[in-house]
Amino acid sequence: MRFDYLRYALNNLSNRRLRSWLTIISILIGITMVFTLVSFGQGLSVYVDSLSEEMGSDKLIAQAGNFQTSTGGEFYFTEEEVDLIEKVRGIEETTAYQYGGIEIKEDDVKKYVYGVGVQTGDAQKLMDEVFGVEVVKGRALKEGDKQKVLLGYNYQLPDKIFEDPIDLGKKIHVNDVKFEVVGFYGEVGNPQDDSNVYITQDGWELLYPGESKRYVNIIARTAPGEEPKEVAERAEKELRDFRDQEEGEEDFFIQTFEDAIETFTNVIGVINSILILIALISVVVAGVNIMNTMYTAVVERTKEIGVMKAIGATNNSILLIFVVESGMLGLVGSGIGVILGYTISNAGGSIAASAGYSMLQPVFPIELVAGCLLFGFILGAGSGLLPARAASRQKPVNALRYE
Amino acid sequence: MIGDYFSIAVNNLLQRRLRSYLTMIGIFIGIAAVVALIGLGEGLRTAITGQFGSFGPDKLSVQAGGVQAGPPGTGVIDPLTTDDAEAVEDVNGVKMVIPRMVRSVSVDFNDISKIGYLSNMVDGEKRDEIERVLDLKIEEGRFLKDGDKNKIVVAHNFADGERFKKQMKVGDSVLIEDKNFDIVGILKKKGSFIFDNIILMNEDPMRDLLDDHEKVDVLAVIVEDMDEIGLVKNRIEKLMRNRRDVKVGEEDFEVQSPEQALGTINDTLFAVQLFVSLIAGISLVVGGIGILNTMYTAVLERTREIGIMKSIGATNRAIFTMFFIESGLLGTLGGIVGVVLGLSMASGLSYLGRMFLGSELIQANFSPWLIIGSLLFSFILGSLAGITPALQAAKLHPVDALRYKK
Repeated sequence: MRFDYLRYALNNLSNRRLRSWLTIISILIGITMVFTLVSFGQGLSVYVDSLSEEMGSDKLIAQAGNFQTSTGGEFYFTEEEVDLIEKVRGIEETTAYQYGGIEIKEDDVKKYVYGVGVQTGDAQKLMDEVFGVEVVKGRALKEGDKQKVLLGYNYQLPDKIFEDPIDLGKKIHVNDVKFEVVGFYGEVGNPQDDSNVYITQDGWELLYPGESKRYVNIIARTAPGEEPKEVAERAEKELRDFRDQEEGEEDFFIQTFEDAIETFTNVIGVINSILILIALISVVVAGVNIMNTMYTAVVERTKEIGVMKAIGATNNSILLIFVVESGMLGLVGSGIGVILGYTISNAGGSIAASAGYSMLQPVFPIELVAGCLLFGFILGAGSGLLPARAASRQKPVNALRYE
Repeated sequence: MIGDYFSIAVNNLLQRRLRSYLTMIGIFIGIAAVVALIGLGEGLRTAITGQFGSFGPDKLSVQAGGVQAGPPGTGVIDPLTTDDAEAVEDVNGVKMVIPRMVRSVSVDFNDISKIGYLSNMVDGEKRDEIERVLDLKIEEGRFLKDGDKNKIVVAHNFADGERFKKQMKVGDSVLIEDKNFDIVGILKKKGSFIFDNIILMNEDPMRDLLDDHEKVDVLAVIVEDMDEIGLVKNRIEKLMRNRRDVKVGEEDFEVQSPEQALGTINDTLFAVQLFVSLIAGISLVVGGIGILNTMYTAVLERTREIGIMKSIGATNRAIFTMFFIESGLLGTLGGIVGVVLGLSMASGLSYLGRMFLGSELIQANFSPWLIIGSLLFSFILGSLAGITPALQAAKLHPVDALRYKK
């Protein structure tokens, strides 16, 4: 019985092949866009989630200055303050770093990248853990390293930063001071971080006299069993007292990694939803097209409806015939849209990866595919509802008489 | 003659009223979305670029380059110095060089500590020039003058009492980086994020306070002859290349006209706007498909009519024109409604933004080109969508058409 409706719908659709295809195309355009946007949005949030997992929910980050500060250098944490944070109850270990733009020169070619001043030993291990990177070649920086650098992933690749890849042991100029390359980090997945240059505090002193051990960020690991939020508040209070500042007037802030990442995720989520909303406009237009097609179908088949009613078709079965037909339009359209969206997202993902943004990868949860198909069907059926009702309410006699 | 075509088209559209309306709805949803988004985007761009104040065409800025990403200032590698400023001042064709500094500092007032932007004022005639170029006006008190040591002028947003729970008044003293300064003047509100949050101080006390006696953030260069601005720019670039020992193409500094400097921000905003409009514009394609569909249906329905027209002498051309005008009309009518709807939507949103958020950033800005452009676009869209159905109708064989059964 159900299948009869389906077969009848398919027959009718293929009878008016051109019109059906045009209607299907109008749906698949919208569905393709929505599918692509959602898959990238999901991909980003998966990436962020994996970041927060790598970094761990037991970490805190302290930032010198506040959201308004612009120029660097005027707000920083001293070594003493880092020690203070490390001694806060509930904090196990800390790592601190500062960063700034630097110039690197190799064979008379100059590039401008970010230099990161790091602490050595266990502190650097904590930093590697937080940023999810490992030294893949050579060694990490260690105590006593002065004119040694650890380079980001991209320096090993040709034509990324310099024409030729840089080898271990090579000397490069950093702000006109010679540094020896001792190691390379693995890939982070974005071009900025992958071109970072890491230097010890002694090295930083060499480049910027008097500015070493002035850290911009401190990352702390809380002890197991501690509530990171409480520890963050405790650390904030200690540092506030140390600096003799009032609550709400700090020129620094400390938050848990989860909170820091959540802000970021929220922003991405909002942007993504706005884009999806805009893309949905074309889905609405497609719905109007379906409605139009179905009204035309009802008018064209008025006589047919009359005949069916005359031989005993109920209002409900006429309604069902047209709703199934328009639902099929939506379903087929969204099916093709999903396939097309999948292709486009994958292509976009590999373009992003080759541009160095391997973090921007689409994911295709089964809910997305199912959701798109269901949405397409509901959209089709919903748009067909009014025309179908018009069809079902026709008087058999009038319908038969229609010219 | 052409009038006849139009009345036939209108009649036909009215005959299938529901279908015509639905087709037009498809178009006007798209046009309304695009018009509203472009209008709001333009408004946002004007608002943002307006934040940076208006500079004349006779100015250049010199800035040290560095890494692009990241917070401003942190990326600068080799900052400009006061020596650079003096050297640039000697360049042929340069009238005046104003070294500018903007730093964030801690500001204490009424036992509340906040972070604010501190900027320098330069002695002599350059002081008037800064005031003129930045269009700074005093609301209360006076501007700084040469030799003012522990005096500052604060921007409107400091004085309104919101930030420090107490109004700053002329004569009040404020702690900046733990040193006492007296307010001698308060600036008029400018509606700019930067200039409404700034504290002005003479350069010498500012350098003493920050213990920084040579770094400069930006050089504002005023040229003698506006027509030679390109030439002067080249000369400054050459000088700076020599001073910093870099080759052509490897400059670690930038000499820009303010328009160029703003251009970068403008380009980014424009790209975002374009992307969003494109996504919205795709709904117009969907609307176009709707027109295509409606027109094919119309041709099919009127096959016999076409047969009759042809058998009493209608040319292929006449049949084509008939359908072509009909679909063009569908597009244009949809476009008109869409433009009106888009305009009112964007204006409504900007009104709401001002009412509830107090934000000047949400404002609608419609150029006549936007309106003309969208109407033209909707007409073209309608006509294009009508071409193939109209051709199909025109090519029908009269006999076949007459014989056609629904």
